[in-house]
Amino acid sequence: MIKRQAGWPRCVAAVALAAGTLGGAARADDGLAKDDPNAWPMYSRGYDNTRYSPLKQINPGNVGNLKLAFSFQLGSLRSNEASPIVIGDTMYVSTSWGPKYVYALDARTGARKWTYEPEIPDDTLQYACCDVNSRGVTFADGKIFVGRLDGKLSAVDAATGKELWTTTVVDYKQGSVITSPPLVVKNMVITGFGGGEYGARGSLQAYDVNTGKQVWKTWTVPAPGEANADSWKGDSWQHGGAVLWLVGSYDPKTNTVLWGTSNPGPWNSGVRSTGDGNYGKLSNLYSSSTVAFDADTGKIKWWVQGTPADAWDYDGVNELVLADLSISGQKTPVYMKADRNGFFYVVNRESGKIVSAEKYVPTTWASKIDVATGKPTEDADKRPGPNHPIKGACPNLIGGKNWQPMSFNPDTGLVYIPTNNVCMDWSVSEVNYRKGVFYLGGDFPPHPGPGGYMGEMMAWDPVAQKKVWSVTTDLPFNGGTLTTGGGLTFWGDLHGMFHAYDAKNGKELWKTGLGSGIGAGPISYSVDGKQYVAIVVGRTASIPAFLGDVGKKMTEATPEGGALFVFSE
Amino acid sequence: MKTPAMMKLVGLAAALLCGAAAAQAAQPLRLCADPANLPFSSNAPEAVGQGAPGLYVEIGQAVAEALGRPMETVWSLSYFGKRNIRTTLLAGQCDLAVGLPAVSDFMGPRVIFSRPILKLGYALVVPKGRAVTGIDDLKGQRVAVQFASPPQSLLATRSDITAVTTLDPEEAMRRLAAGEVDAAFIWSPSAGYINHTALHDKFAVTPVDAPQMQWQAAIGFSSKQPGLRDEVDAALPRLDPTIRQLSAKYAVAMGPSLTYTDAGPVQVAVAEAASAPAHGAEAKGDALLGKEIFNGTCAHCHGPDGVVQDRKIDLRRLEHKYADQMDEVFLTTVTNGRPAKGMPTWKDVFKQQDFINILAYLKTIQDK
Repeated sequence: MIKRQAGWPRCVAAVALAAGTLGGAARADDGLAKDDPNAWPMYSRGYDNTRYSPLKQINPGNVGNLKLAFSFQLGSLRSNEASPIVIGDTMYVSTSWGPKYVYALDARTGARKWTYEPEIPDDTLQYACCDVNSRGVTFADGKIFVGRLDGKLSAVDAATGKELWTTTVVDYKQGSVITSPPLVVKNMVITGFGGGEYGARGSLQAYDVNTGKQVWKTWTVPAPGEANADSWKGDSWQHGGAVLWLVGSYDPKTNTVLWGTSNPGPWNSGVRSTGDGNYGKLSNLYSSSTVAFDADTGKIKWWVQGTPADAWDYDGVNELVLADLSISGQKTPVYMKADRNGFFYVVNRESGKIVSAEKYVPTTWASKIDVATGKPTEDADKRPGPNHPIKGACPNLIGGKNWQPMSFNPDTGLVYIPTNNVCMDWSVSEVNYRKGVFYLGGDFPPHPGPGGYMGEMMAWDPVAQKKVWSVTTDLPFNGGTLTTGGGLTFWGDLHGMFHAYDAKNGKELWKTGLGSGIGAGPISYSVDGKQYVAIVVGRTASIPAFLGDVGKKMTEATPEGGALFVFSE
Repeated sequence: MKTPAMMKLVGLAAALLCGAAAAQAAQPLRLCADPANLPFSSNAPEAVGQGAPGLYVEIGQAVAEALGRPMETVWSLSYFGKRNIRTTLLAGQCDLAVGLPAVSDFMGPRVIFSRPILKLGYALVVPKGRAVTGIDDLKGQRVAVQFASPPQSLLATRSDITAVTTLDPEEAMRRLAAGEVDAAFIWSPSAGYINHTALHDKFAVTPVDAPQMQWQAAIGFSSKQPGLRDEVDAALPRLDPTIRQLSAKYAVAMGPSLTYTDAGPVQVAVAEAASAPAHGAEAKGDALLGKEIFNGTCAHCHGPDGVVQDRKIDLRRLEHKYADQMDEVFLTTVTNGRPAKGMPTWKDVFKQQDFINILAYLKTIQDK
């Protein structure tokens, strides 16, 4: 199923060698040693979301000998998307369905220390648009913080699993669920929520780590009288979407929280904008954007909107990976974002100025992004709208990359992106209904993009904006990536195969079958001098339901699952 | 694996309507219904206690009675309607779901339908005594609409009407009653029910006839249950008066509709996209679409892809039998049915374009 693709020149040009990660293992003031190379203390290891572990014990020379250290059954099936975190010798991992469970395990043996089972109501599935997933938990100040499907946020004692406080972030009965781990900055635990299509108005919210009391809340859709309120038509701002359902990043130097926002709602862009590409001011800010917030106050500093007046479901939620890249010989603090809209953005994270934005997957809806204004040059034939069904818009609604995390390796200077190569037609026709109310739904049959494959894990040079190597696979929506100081890149696919590649050239060095589709990103850590690589498996279920025959192949590829696998030499 | 919260409750029908002998023989007829979706269905003690468990529940009971079977209700929440149908009706958890949109593209061939039993759609709601003859009468007014609904899309094309977006019909009616809006343009059955049960029938609820504003609703079944569907279809004509009475009981508006297609420049934007021949030219029909409908609906008698043993219903022989009158015979038959031979009428289920598409498909499978 997986084949090498002869991509761009193999050799990594001597660019980006000044690349380095910042705050590799940075985290809140939690009393633990900073920059502990052995730990994996948060979702993508650090505030910078690089998913880069400096560990070198496992390397191209010995990765072929990887063996199972232990496995652990999560006790919850379907859509297991968590990245475990490891603090000291303890691993914390959450499951799907709420989460149904959060476990603390001995990171060497998998022996269970405690189980936290939050009281999740039975009716959450019907409100979760895109599955009953939990992407993990966050550690700080001796506590584990858990975002929940029922719109709540809980703090749990990291030593005992005892619940310390629970607060309600959002009413889940309006289709707003929390599926991603929060970001802890200083004394605040910061979270968003999902539900962009179902009438929510997005906000980012900060809570006190000790009490669960709200510190600040910033709407990501302005109300009349606020700046940029004139980017919405009529009263559409009230249910404008722009929710923050994935993970955030933090830049300690500027005290800035960076977070991506979802598409605007409703899908009919005529309700909130002009319904065509001449949207003028009606760009629906701050939807489908990257937004920079002051960490102390939540005040919006600046934003970069990827897809103005979105009509394709191009959420802008994808994670911001922070690094210092050498741009024209200048060390430049940037964030990198593989946007759902098919463009790879490199943006100065201190000024919000776009450095470059280029297509990283086949993309037809726009030909380019104007780096001065951020405005896409659209192809009018590819923008769906009222009276305007379209054919052949790429990427399709799952995007060039979805939530599955990418990684950045400062040694190779490459970003390892799990991408999708799927296009779609779009018409507003299919009759839908909700609680007995009939309405028109979008009909968006997917088809493979050029080349016939639908998934591609690619090594991308963010400075040259070029593909260096890649592997393609028949299915879209594969797992996230991990890259290491040992020169390896790990990636799992929807067939349940877990692979290790030489990070420099893409040579496959090891693989093993884990029995259920993989969506999560792998992690790596070290305890007692021994390096481990861990991955959660359990294939997706809700997303394929949007994708017709393609979705059928995705679910037929493997059974449902829910397990943690940990490998070592 | 955890499934959606689902509780089973033996319906009143089982206790009240079935004699002991029948109960021994008859399997319960399992109705899928939402426990909190009045006026359609509810398992709330107060609703059941007042003998008003909802229109769909009572229609289910009437159908079960007509079939001589006890009824059992399988409750499941339907916030996401299609997903709910997949995990209940199509997963074999229940036998029928009342009130699905009877259109060929609803969920493809996996869901089959009875003949339509109700017309459901959107309505204009204004204080009684106020004359509204068309959308233009709403100029300069504040009109409540539901988020992501066809009326919201329609009013988005009118700069002279102020749309006030609400998340559900309850909020819209509340704002109407509070005088925060001048009218509501919302889901008709909910409006009628709230108006009747909570607002002393202060408002007039008038269905609006326009493309994509009204639908035929039917009873839905899994495509694995064509026999049951036929039994229900055979019983439905007798149940018509009951269904009319029940609609009145739940204040589902059945009166004359307001038509606004001739009211000047108004056009339903989304509806146009829907009715545009997206896949092929109108006149010649799209055989692929026709095939889909054929295999979803017609095939349960006429065979998948038209392959069937019985020559009398073998549609691959149409051209052979009717030569250049094939089109005419086909259209007459699907429109009027042949009740004596078991062929129902389909004119209320499918649009003319659907028939043309089916015909285009049939022409591709004629015996040569």
